[in-house]
This record gives sequence, C-alpha cells and structure tokens, in this order.
Amino acid sequence: MLLWFLPLFLLLIMIGLPVVFGLLAAPVALIMLEGDGRNVVAGLYRNLYNGMDSFPLMALPFFMLAGEVMNRGGITLRLVEFSQAFMGHMRGGLAHVNILSSMLFAGLSGSAVADTSALGSTLIPAMEKNGYTRSFAAAITAASSVIGPIIPPSGIMIIYAYVMGESVAALFLAGIVPGIMVGVGLMIMVRLMADRYDLPKAERIVHKNQTITPLEGWVSFVLVRINIAGLLYAISGIITQFFAEPVNGWLIFGLALPIAHAIAQATKAHVSHDFRIVCKKAIAPLQTPIIILGGILVGVFTPTEASAVAVAYALIVSFFVLRSMNGRDLLDVLQKSALSTAAVLVLVGAAVTFKTVVSLSYAPQILSDYILSLSENPLILLFLINILLFIVGMFLDAGPAIIILGPILGPIFVDLGVHPVHFAIIMSVNLTVGLATPPMGLVLFVASSVSGEKVETIARAILPFLAVEVVVIFMITYIPAISMTIPRLTGFVQ
Amino acid sequence: MSVLFWVLWPLERFNTAILAVGRALAMSALAIMVCLILGQVFFRYVLNDAPNWTEEGARFGMLWMTGLMAPLAYRMGGFVSIDMLERALPKFLSALLTLTLLCIALWVLVVFWDRGLNNHVDTMSGKGCSSSLRWPFGFEFGKCGAKFQNRFQYASLFVGVNLLILVNVELILRQIIKIGSQGHRLTKLSADENLAGAS
Repeated sequence: MLLWFLPLFLLLIMIGLPVVFGLLAAPVALIMLEGDGRNVVAGLYRNLYNGMDSFPLMALPFFMLAGEVMNRGGITLRLVEFSQAFMGHMRGGLAHVNILSSMLFAGLSGSAVADTSALGSTLIPAMEKNGYTRSFAAAITAASSVIGPIIPPSGIMIIYAYVMGESVAALFLAGIVPGIMVGVGLMIMVRLMADRYDLPKAERIVHKNQTITPLEGWVSFVLVRINIAGLLYAISGIITQFFAEPVNGWLIFGLALPIAHAIAQATKAHVSHDFRIVCKKAIAPLQTPIIILGGILVGVFTPTEASAVAVAYALIVSFFVLRSMNGRDLLDVLQKSALSTAAVLVLVGAAVTFKTVVSLSYAPQILSDYILSLSENPLILLFLINILLFIVGMFLDAGPAIIILGPILGPIFVDLGVHPVHFAIIMSVNLTVGLATPPMGLVLFVASSVSGEKVETIARAILPFLAVEVVVIFMITYIPAISMTIPRLTGFVQ
Repeated sequence: MSVLFWVLWPLERFNTAILAVGRALAMSALAIMVCLILGQVFFRYVLNDAPNWTEEGARFGMLWMTGLMAPLAYRMGGFVSIDMLERALPKFLSALLTLTLLCIALWVLVVFWDRGLNNHVDTMSGKGCSSSLRWPFGFEFGKCGAKFQNRFQYASLFVGVNLLILVNVELILRQIIKIGSQGHRLTKLSADENLAGAS
C-alpha cells in the first residue's frame, strides 16, 4: 500500500498543495490508513528534524547571504561595465555583455532568480535603448540567468549533495565547464542571430571618464598582484616537483609577487585609462568566487566555512571598500536570506523524510525494473530521463524537483554505471534550464516583471536559446569528461 | 461572517507580533551563525586551537532560524507549489480548492504536532545532554548542568510546527472570508516576490 504514496504525492502537488506539505502528507496519509502501530509517523517527524540539522547544509544560507550582500552592495553595474569593456564592441554586443555578466554573477550568487532580477533591471532598459526589442532583451536575460545555479557556488548543488550524500566540492567543480559551455553556446547563438536580425553594435565602454576611490584602487592593486602571484605559484608546482629538495612555498610566492607586479604594469601600458578603471572596479567583487573555490580546492576551508568567509568578504567589500551598504541594508539582506533559506530548509527536511519512505516502499526497485524494461542501454535511458527531467523542469522549480527525483532516479542510474557526480550534473543542469521554460519557468516570470513584457512573448523569444541549452544538456550527458575532468584532476572524484 | 472577522482579528495581530519577534531572532541567529563559523576558521588557523562547540552552536542557530522564519515564509506565500490548476479554475472553484489545500496542510501539521512533542522533544534523547554546547559563564541548569539539553534544539521544529499551525488557521479563516465575498475587507499579507529559494 505504501507504494501508492508516489501517485498520491504527485496528485497532491499537481492540484497545488505546497511541495513541502505534499512530501509529508502522502506518506503520512497512507501510513495512518494502514494503522501506524509502530509509530512510523513519529520517525518521519524526527527525520524532518534530522534533515535540517546539518553542517554542510549551512552553506546554503551563507551563499544566499553573500550573494545578497554583493548584490545590495552595487556590484551589478560594475560587472556589467566590466563585461561591456570586454565584449561590448561585438555585433550584438549588449546581448554578449548580458551573457558574460550572468557568468560572472553566477560566481557570486548561485541563483538564477537573483541574476535575472539584478541584471535584468540594468541591462534590459539599456538593450532596449540600443535598439534591441524588449522581448529579445528579456529572453536573453532569462536564458543566460540559468548559468547562475550551474557555475559554483550553487544552491541546488548544495541541496543535491546533501540529499544524495555527495561531495559539495565535487559538484561545484563539475559545474564549472557545463556553465561556461552554456554561456559560450548562448554567445554563439547571439552571434548567429546578430547577422540575421542585424543586432546593433555597442560601445566598448559605457561611461567615459571612469573614476575609482583611492581605497578601492589600492585594494584592486593588491588583489591583482596576489592573484597573479597565486597563479604563478600554482604553475611553479609543475616545475618544483622535479626538484630533489622541497622548496619553501612562501619563498616561491614572495618571488612571484614582483613578477606579478611587472606583468600588471606591462598590461597597464596597453590599455586605456577607462578600460583599466572598469576592470579595477570589478576586481573586488570577482574575488569572491576565487576565495570560495580557492579555499575549497586548497583544502583550507570546507564548503560551509568558505561560504561564511564569502559572507565576511562581501561585507568588508560592501561596507568598507565600496561603501555602498549601511546598517539598514544589512538588516534587509539578513531578513531576505533567512526567509528564503527557511523555506528551502523545511523543504530539504521534508525531502529527507520522503527519502525514508521511498526506501521503505521499494519504489526505486520497482521503478528501476520498469525503466530497465524499457531498455538496458544506459545511453537510451539517459536520453529518456533527460526528456522526463525537462518536462518536470517546465512545471517545478529546480530545488524541489531535485529533492523529489534525486532519491528516486539517482540510485537507478548509479547502478547502471553512471557516476553519481555526472548524474548530479545532468539533473542539475537539466532542471536549471527548466527554470527558463514555459509554462512555469520561474525566471520567465521574473524577467516579465522586470521588463514589463508578457511571459508568452518572452517564452517565444527564448526558444532559440533554449535549443542551445538542450544541446549542451545532451553534450554533458553523453560526454562525461565535460563535467568530470576538473573534479578528477583536483582529486575530488576517483 | 462577522464572527469570522472577530476570530481573525486577534489571531492576525498575534501572528504578526509573534512572527515579527521570530524574524528578529532568526536574523540574529543567521548573523551569529556566520560569526561562529568565522570564529571556527580564525581559531583553527590563527590560534591553532579550534573550539569543538562552534559547529553545533551554528547548527543550533540554523534550526531555530528555520523554525522561526518558515512560518513567516508560509504566510507570505513562499512555499513552492504548482498553482496552474488554481489559476485555471473559475474563481469560486479555485477558492474552494485553496481552502481544501489549506485544510490538508493543517491536517499534516496537526499530526506532526501530535507526534512531535512526545516522540521527539520529550524523549530520552531530548532529555539527554549536548556533546559540546555549554552554557556561557559557567552557568549550570537542570540535569545536564553546564551542558545544553538536546531538547533546546529539538524544540525549534516543534515551535515551528506550532507557528505554522497558527498561520495555517489564519489563512483558512481568510480563505473562508474570501469565499464569502468579503475578501476586500481583509488586510493584505505582503507577498515577497523575492522569495526565490535556492533557484
């Protein structure tokens, strides 16, 4: 009888019951109908608590908070100007700027909705002013925003890692190349459309006569040199491994610093003043993903600690370097982050409860038998599962969809020989793209509210970009090296 | 209908007040969580002596943040749902469906309330002592002395369920009033469009 919880759950959420209550109501109803002699429901209650009581899960509120602080601290305009300095001169320049900004923003927020809302309010009016149609501007904003949860840090990957018992760091690293591929794919599509629809060219830099405060100038001066020196230090490891005696790391770093300074000075001579200032203004915000990933990769921080450090860094930059936040803003971002996180954490707790019932009901085995009866070829099954995920993504947000489907589908495909991290990326990317698909794509609604364009119009304009994203999904599915190479090289996946 | 307004009025004010207190506490908890984890990193690398209680302390904060903030998120419509059917149905049927869904949610919450107290907070494990969390300044309370009792953490979910029930009852009353065509007399519950979760 317990097996009926799955159809009942689907029925309940299809008629509109909040997913969190659906996850709890379906199993509880069936258990109580059967007679809860062994007090299983009390066990489910304890699982709800245990599901929320997790240290790795704490990265979720922290990353949300860091993203909110950065966003409130006025980094959006800096990232847009930085992107425009690099890509604005190309045909369809502002569309490219939109995509590049999303890729950079992804390293800070990990949320497609935050991306659409922050970049859309800046770029959609700017694109319209430059001759793009409003529907095209909103569509490219929505399509590129799905990069947010793919490039680390990523809220949905933290949830997946927790619910499925995977390494957050491995998933973060596995998301880098797919995220870049989505961005590059969208840029290629924009370039193709630019010729056909005669999309306008933009100026390389939005505002002339750029200025920067002395403090911010010094901070970027130091950060640029530290980053180049860090890169040189990492490269030096390839050479020093052949030395008989180990070389002091600090000595190498110390030697790398003057070289880094020389490189920075040499570059300075070849770029204009405005270009240099725009880049300098983007340095401090763009340091956030370097701190997060660098800290995790080097083994200095756990992902949760890295997220807390990211919050501290974001606060220091916003309060003391950019001076763009005050105490009231801080209270606002704390409230917003706590509110969003609480809703997600209850959902995750309910998912752990649901997962218990899934295993008690033997549903994965029965579903596995059914899926294997369709075909035993994992490639065909992955094709079918991608279609299923795409359809689910049309109706459900990525987070809840992962929570529901992860425990059911994950074990089946792992048994078929698909690496858990590879399957996690297939699921995450596919369901994230679902955020921009009609009829229920969340970012379509946000893009509509930001641009004032109808959802249906944006949904039509986004189709070429969705086609690109579907192609990327299938590439990720059938070429595991795309997602698995970086985690393997860094030792996070065997 | 006036009876419903008479019941709703104090409940709405009570919920608003208690959720405002909960919000303030949850925001403080989030700030403290960040400080504790930063402290953990600082102690480990700078003082070479990482304390063993920061992690549990931060989890304590997260649980209470969730317990206190989730009801507010629910009240503001922040729990994810597929509302296509509700939108597609005629107004009256849609209102009836919403009321039914709220009743299902209330049933789940009441079941969990019933099982939560005696099977979680007030159990052997609940009465047990935390492995690392201690009262500050050498204070000692109850059976566990200087250590926290687990029930202080366990209570976060139970309090959350209680607050969710209160919010749910309020939403049910509001929905019945709306079905009775008196919705225009209700005060608006501000929906936060930025409640985007992890997506």
